[in-house]
Amino acid sequence: MNTRHVATLLLLGPACAAFSGARAEAQDAPAPLPAAAPANPDLSQLSIEELAQLPVRSASKREEPLSAAATALFVITSDDIVNSAADSLPEALRLAPNLNVQQVNGHEYAISARGFNSVETANKLLVLMDGRSIYSTLHSGVFWDVRTPLLEDIAQIEVISGPGGTLYGPNAVNGVINILSRDAGETLGGLVRGTAGTFEQSAAARYGVAVGEAGAVRFYANWFNFDDHRQAPIGPVLRDRFHGWRAGFRGDFATARDRFTLQGDIFDNRIASLPGDRNQGHNLLGRWTRDLSGTASFRIQAYYDHVERRYLLTFDSLETAEAEAQLNLQAGAHDIVIGGGLRTTRDEFINNLNAFRLNPQSRRLWVYNAFVQDRFALTPTLSLIAGIKAEDTSFTGIELLPNVRIAWHPDDRTLLWAAVSRAVRTPSRIDRQLEFPPLLTGGSFQSEKLVAFEAGYRGQPTARTTLSVSAFYNAYDDIRTTEFQPGGALPIQLMNGLEGHTYGVEAWSASQLAPWLRVNLGLSTLWKRFHEKPGHADLAQRDALGHDPHLQLFLRAELTPVERLRLNFGLRRIGRLAGGGGGEPPISAYVEADANLSFRLSDTLEFYLAGNNLLHRTHLESNDTQRATLAQRSVYLGTRLRF
Amino acid sequence: MNGGRLLLALALLFGAAPARAQPSEDSVKAAFLPRFARYVAWPPPAAPAPGAPFQLCLIGRDPFGRLLDRAASSELIDGHNVAVRRLASAGQARGCHLAFVQGVAGTDTARLLLALRGQPVLTVTDARAGPQRGMIHFTIVGGRVRFFIDDAAAAERGLVISSRLLALAAGVRQRR
Repeated sequence: MNTRHVATLLLLGPACAAFSGARAEAQDAPAPLPAAAPANPDLSQLSIEELAQLPVRSASKREEPLSAAATALFVITSDDIVNSAADSLPEALRLAPNLNVQQVNGHEYAISARGFNSVETANKLLVLMDGRSIYSTLHSGVFWDVRTPLLEDIAQIEVISGPGGTLYGPNAVNGVINILSRDAGETLGGLVRGTAGTFEQSAAARYGVAVGEAGAVRFYANWFNFDDHRQAPIGPVLRDRFHGWRAGFRGDFATARDRFTLQGDIFDNRIASLPGDRNQGHNLLGRWTRDLSGTASFRIQAYYDHVERRYLLTFDSLETAEAEAQLNLQAGAHDIVIGGGLRTTRDEFINNLNAFRLNPQSRRLWVYNAFVQDRFALTPTLSLIAGIKAEDTSFTGIELLPNVRIAWHPDDRTLLWAAVSRAVRTPSRIDRQLEFPPLLTGGSFQSEKLVAFEAGYRGQPTARTTLSVSAFYNAYDDIRTTEFQPGGALPIQLMNGLEGHTYGVEAWSASQLAPWLRVNLGLSTLWKRFHEKPGHADLAQRDALGHDPHLQLFLRAELTPVERLRLNFGLRRIGRLAGGGGGEPPISAYVEADANLSFRLSDTLEFYLAGNNLLHRTHLESNDTQRATLAQRSVYLGTRLRF
Repeated sequence: MNGGRLLLALALLFGAAPARAQPSEDSVKAAFLPRFARYVAWPPPAAPAPGAPFQLCLIGRDPFGRLLDRAASSELIDGHNVAVRRLASAGQARGCHLAFVQGVAGTDTARLLLALRGQPVLTVTDARAGPQRGMIHFTIVGGRVRFFIDDAAAAERGLVISSRLLALAAGVRQRR
């Protein structure tokens, strides 16, 4: 038996779990400045378009970011997504230079920040969709093929590299992806979109109506098809055509003091690997926010999420229910957030493919948490942020997750920050309860632990440029190993035998070089040093560390030469992936490009020609010998009609 | 490269200009308000007479103070100045072309908007003050001041909003 792939064939499972913190406002994100930004802004000299692009100081203290200020945060805006060639959520995440996105095959992606990337090992990222945690308790990773939102509905995606701190929930170890959809009031009227290319097609429709004086509701449906990818020399012989639909609604209602949101989705999609392979699910979320006074607000949120996956003779279902409450207070120089929540999941995993199984086959798990964070203004330019979260899980008992951050604003154009945080990845069902009798039994796998040291700069070094630079040193302990019993006896167990560190730099900039030309640059680097702790020998040959490039470089340009024409062009160079101990071959570095050329025929009608992976007919992004197919050049025509 | 261009390049790279304060949210909103008049066409009886100013009315609370007077004073649109009027109630709104409407509490904004119904006034509201929406509704998107446009409501009042302004909106409720 290949023990290295002990989890491999089980990873065909469900999704859900965690806590959403205070929403990070985008104003702290690096973003382009207006073309003209004089020393003392005479706003009357700016065009109306320039006014709309001018970053502003927030008038509301309470909406300033609590966790986000002193962290490496990249924001993908709705315009960034719609103007790019992205045709799915994972493709849109390529816009963030602090993520590594590997397309594994037609429906699977491996996405991680600061290392550990591969389908099975990208388990240190928390992904939230409108406050719903979508990582799977099966393996703590995300099944991206059950997340196919209407891209036009996304308001923004916040990508935090580094521990999410106190405000985000479990699994926010290496990063947080927080996907927020637009308020229903922002999507009144109709939208119809269609795309067609040789390799992919899509159709989508949305309609929003106002309800009363201050409410709105929208409904959407989308359908997509991605044809089979070519087989990779290293990968399996499997068809991976991926097609399906998703539909849903969101309603937002407000009174003078209260805001209510109710939203839900239902989806069904198929993968061509075996007849009957299919993902299905639905979810419903409610949120109530009340302004208690000018300086305090209270929020309650609850949701239910159900996902079922049938893939290669396995059946995997996950049902999640969560309720959480949060109180934001402002008192003198203190900004305080207090909250707590409770989540329960019930999963089931049936495997007819091989002898790996979970014991028990079905299990209910509980997570309770409580947190408090204070942002304290020491001086007008210096803030200290300190928080702690306590989390009690069914597998590990109480874990404490503290973090301390310092933010210094010497002037309005500069933020310098530093942070020390502790984060843990709590065990997944596979970590704890995977069996292959008599070779493998479930063990007492403990949480993987991280102490992260980070520092960064974010600001506007020139009037036309924003820049963010951050550096990190991550010290890990108790990373997963696959080991014999002491003395070399069977059964094998999953244990916490690796320790080590990673370090690297992430940087990105945005420059408005001319009113018609914006250029974004991005870079991320990563070095890993790990070793087995005394007395531990990893049969999986450090498979848990994943496969990551040392260097990623990004260039993106947006040109608007005339009013109705827009060209968005992206170039990325992703470094080499080293080979793995389990027979994964090294993958050479690659350079790829994407582009979207859009023409607005009128205010309501837009046509575009877009393409992904333009430089090569095929290329390989993942060295996953169990799953990888070739990423493929795809060119398509699209149209959007708004009414 | 000659010396002048080199200096220019260095200035661009290193921000030779003195540290620039980021403008406040309110100052950008105040800059937008008189500017809106440039991108809206009023029905002939409501448009200002030749040489007469556009009337920009603040109804209810005034969050802008001198910011708005300064912004309005530098605006000249097809020979029309922009005059700022501050009104306590919607009853005095006759002659207003644009009205920034903000009640003391959220419900007041709704009442003020209701009172302006039927008049050819471009109503502007702010999401910070409450959810009640005029034809233009300020919001913050990605740290920038943006707005929603209710083109359907504008059309009912006979106002025509230019496509240039519509293109800038974070969202548009289209006219029927």
